[in-house]
Amino acid sequence: MKKLQGFGYPIFFVVMALLPHLLDSRWQAVAITFLIFAVVALSQDIILGKSGMFHMGQALFFGMGAYITAILNAQYGWPLLTTIPVAILVPAFFGVILAGPIVHLRGDYLLVTTIGFNIVFVQVVQNNLGGITGGPNGIFGLDSMSFFGIQLVSQVAVYYFAFAVLLVTLLIMRNLEKSKAGRALHYLREDQLAAESIGINTRIYKIFAFAVGAGIAGLAGTVFATQYSAVSPEAFNFMQSVLFFSIVIVGGSSVPGVLIGVFVMFVLPEIFREFATWRFFIFGFAMIAAMILRPHGIWPATFGKIPKFLIKGDNHGA
Amino acid sequence: MARNELILSDVTKRFGGLTAVDALSLKVEEGQIYGVIGPNGAGKTTVFNCITGIYKSEEGSVNWRGEEIRGLTPYQIVDRGIVRTFQTIRLFSQMSVAENIMSGRHIKSSQKLWHGIIHTAASRRDELFNWHKVEEQLDFFDLGEFAATPTGSLPYGIQRRVEMARALAVEPTLLILDEPAAGLNDKETLELLETIFKIRGKGVTVLLIEHDMDMVMEMTDYLAVINFGKLIAEGTPAEIQQNPAVIEAYLGSEDDDDE
Ligand SMILES: Nc1ncnc2c1ncn2[C@@H]1O[C@H](COP(=O)(O)OP(=O)(O)O)[C@@H](O)[C@H]1O
Ligand SMILES: [Mg+2]
Repeated sequence: MKKLQGFGYPIFFVVMALLPHLLDSRWQAVAITFLIFAVVALSQDIILGKSGMFHMGQALFFGMGAYITAILNAQYGWPLLTTIPVAILVPAFFGVILAGPIVHLRGDYLLVTTIGFNIVFVQVVQNNLGGITGGPNGIFGLDSMSFFGIQLVSQVAVYYFAFAVLLVTLLIMRNLEKSKAGRALHYLREDQLAAESIGINTRIYKIFAFAVGAGIAGLAGTVFATQYSAVSPEAFNFMQSVLFFSIVIVGGSSVPGVLIGVFVMFVLPEIFREFATWRFFIFGFAMIAAMILRPHGIWPATFGKIPKFLIKGDNHGA
Repeated sequence: MARNELILSDVTKRFGGLTAVDALSLKVEEGQIYGVIGPNGAGKTTVFNCITGIYKSEEGSVNWRGEEIRGLTPYQIVDRGIVRTFQTIRLFSQMSVAENIMSGRHIKSSQKLWHGIIHTAASRRDELFNWHKVEEQLDFFDLGEFAATPTGSLPYGIQRRVEMARALAVEPTLLILDEPAAGLNDKETLELLETIFKIRGKGVTVLLIEHDMDMVMEMTDYLAVINFGKLIAEGTPAEIQQNPAVIEAYLGSEDDDDE
């Protein structure tokens, strides 16, 4: 699988870079959706897969980013791209303050709490709190993207925006793997007591995972708002969170696994459109089958990312 | 600068009605290999848990280098140079041997949280430096060939070595080992003995629990014997062997020796 991954990434990037020119506009839209949801699923993976925290409210941070972009653009006239820093930092900040009081909770309690957060969020935007979220209909009629004064109206432009966001996300995931902070997440996931006993303040790193995951999901929200020129509450409800959660579990907390999960969940139903109404039914069965046959996911997480100079084969044995 | 001494005074830890550690006092001096022995259930592990912050004793004081450390969290205690291993090995079992040892470099690494997102020249240098430190431990414990192997799939004896390598990677002042020889065969036990002497040779003070009397007598400079949570004797191995209270405690608990 390592070899496959070595070839797989360049091919994947080339195909994704060319893709919009091969597709008609309906499929371009599907491809953009794939990219956005891939980013959200990867951000979920930082919290759930890498750190082992049963967080089932990722749609909250995704929606928060989307709403921030929509509000700043539609109500205050900010250009879409300038909303990005706010759409990252505010969800990241909420990630910290929401996670702070709950990260010590055990798996099942954490799960219920994060579901609660998600429900509260949807209620808040639905009831038009503060009069800026547009209520049940949401906010529509956002501007198109512009880049240094050049209007990027076409769907292809949105596609490349989404693709760039995915690339940034993958870069962050890779940096995380090769850092003290990223390893700390793995350690606390594997054995919290052992992690504490080797000097890791696990609480700080759990909150850090939430902040990073929330920030990335917020950024994906900006792309989402840009694609649809609109946001509405039901796009970020609890069911969406369940999907992101399931994708990481079924896919197996690895980049290929998560991408496969997103593909199965969001692209296959478009290919088999006549089955679209069956998609939860089919995905539900796929989840059950995958968990029974491959309890660590379709493409399980691989550890062992250590520098080459440490791998010596047996020239070093006793 | 205070000396590297660990002084427990009247440490008491209760679980409900049971007093697992009962007004225990002992003193570990710099450079010693200090042994704690006693029958199963005597409270030895609980004492170690009180020192390393896993439990907070209800009473008494745990003083390290002149500082009261009772009530600190485990990671704060590691930060002060005390690192431990577990009686039931606790490794990050899906991760490789090298990654397990790398966890010991956590507090030594200069990387900040945001380096997890963006790398800099300094963070890359720090990363490489610490992997080289891991390599030193791999060499010291002769684990090089297993560097990339997930620890969960390794035999018991090697897992024990990984756990010690991980603890030593922290470069502790005081190393606490909870039954390091449990589950080892004779050859591995001999190697362990050598390793512990080598660790002491590096200037690390060693505090350990051991079940195997022969090994304790051979290895330690000083011994504390615990029964029912109380200190029943202390002294050099030679003194302990003569002590009637110890002989009685051990005769009285023959059946719970599980090798
Ligand atoms: N977490 C705990 N909760 C309740 N009782 C405990 C706990 N840990 C240890 N004990 C009890 O405390 C006593 C001492 O246990 P322990 O310190 O593990 O003994 P030793 O390491 O000397 O074999 C035993 O009776 C044990 O059952
Ligand atoms: Mg014990």
